Parts: sequence; structure tokens; C-alpha cells
Amino acid sequence: MADSLLSYIALAMILFSIGFLGVISRKNIFIVYMSIELMLNAINLIFISLGRYYETMVPQVMAMIIIAIAAAEAAVFLSLIVVLYRRKKSLDSDIFTVLSQKDAHE
Amino acid sequence: MVDIVFIVLALFAIFGGLGMILFAQPIYCALSLIVCLVALGGIFALLSAPFLFMVQIILYAGAIITLLLFIIMFLNIKDVNLPDEPNKVTTIFVGAALLIPFNILILKAFSTLPNKPMHILGKDFGSIHSFGIELFRGWLVPFELISILLLAALVGAVVYARKGSVDG
Repeated sequence: MADSLLSYIALAMILFSIGFLGVISRKNIFIVYMSIELMLNAINLIFISLGRYYETMVPQVMAMIIIAIAAAEAAVFLSLIVVLYRRKKSLDSDIFTVLSQKDAHE
Repeated sequence: MVDIVFIVLALFAIFGGLGMILFAQPIYCALSLIVCLVALGGIFALLSAPFLFMVQIILYAGAIITLLLFIIMFLNIKDVNLPDEPNKVTTIFVGAALLIPFNILILKAFSTLPNKPMHILGKDFGSIHSFGIELFRGWLVPFELISILLLAALVGAVVYARKGSVDG
């Protein structure tokens, strides 16, 4: 079972689906963010298992770059959440439509 | 033996992920996400990527999710601040049913690849040495761009979180 590529791909697809379901079904902005992280990790798993399959190091470097981008994303996303939570006192992702409005000061 | 390790790690990862989308409190979600990410790190080690195993533990579980936990505790969230989610379970089940054909498509596409044994390779593959050689020979420009991106993210986070712009 651990010898076949397909079981790793199946695990990665299950995790990606869980992350996608988290994005579409939850309204809490923290859980949306964590689901995005889980989807990035599932893609990392696909990259690394394909790298093991073809015995090349390139996908591992790509996975490393994805992790670095996730770190940068975490910093910006979390500071944005802190600012919006201080203004609105809610974690509902629906109130974040304020970001798309032209006149957002009240 | 390796099969048992793989199955246990996969179950930890899947249940961690399910716990993440089912718990109501963000703090429990973050803790079960840590379980999921550490189990995924173990699976990276099974796939002959020991360096990425370390990076996963140190960077993901140790830095990113700890930052997330810190922010969750720092905001001091009460139950009133959490959004109502009346349709959560329904959406999850309907979404899961809609995602099954997509998953079958991907698995069918990958099952056309010829079967190859995936046992753990020797100590050169995936080590820091070969990883660094690959990174700095073929991926130097993306590496430098990542440093610029991290710097931009740092500046952006500081600008967002400045006190004056929040109160004004």
C-alpha cells in the first residue's frame, strides 16, 4: 500500500477535498484560512510523491517554494484579520465584503 | 511495516483535517490542523524527503500554525464573535457528494501511470546536500524572488497592523 503512487495521490485528494469543503462550508475566517493551508499541503504531497515516483529532486524544491509562499501569505492574512476584527468585532467572512467597497470608512 | 506506518499517518491526517472543518471553536481547529500537518510531515519522510519532513515540522507546525494560535489567543474571541453557521453540515455533505466525480477523474488519470515500487531510497535522495545543489543550480532566480516576496509580506503586515491606521 505504501508502495503505490495511487495511495499517496488518493490521500492528497482526500485532504484537498476536505480543505475545499472547509472553504465553501465555513464562515469563520480563521477556518477558511486553515483550509487554504490544508489545500496547499495536499498539493505539496502530490508534488513530493511524483518526485519520488520519477526519482528527481525538482518537485521537492517546488514544495519548498510553496511552503515559503504560505509563510508570506500567513503574515499578510493574519494581520489583515487582526485589523478587521478590531474594527468589526466579528469573524464572519461575509463582513469582509467591506474590502471590496470603495467607501469603507464609517 | 511501512504499510502500517502509512495507514496510521494517513488516518491521523484525515481525522485531523475533518476535525479542522467540524469543530466550532477556532482554537480546536488549529490544534487538529497541527495533528494533520505533523502526520503529513511523516508521510513526506516515507516518500524519501527527510529535509522537507524537517521543514514541515519546523516551519508549518512550528511557525505558521503557532503564529495562527498566537493570533487566535491574542484576539480573545468570545462565542458572540463567532459567526452563525446553520447550514454547515448540509453544505459539507452536498459538497462531498459533488466532489466525488472530480476525485475519481484525478485518480483515473493517475492510475494510467505504470506501477513502480516506491520503497524508501538511499541517503542521498532528499538530503540537505542534494536539495541545496538542486535549489541553487536550477532555482536560483525563484529563490531570490521568494526573498523579495517575504520582504514585501513583512512590510505589508507591519503597515496593516500599525496602531494609527486602525483607530483613525
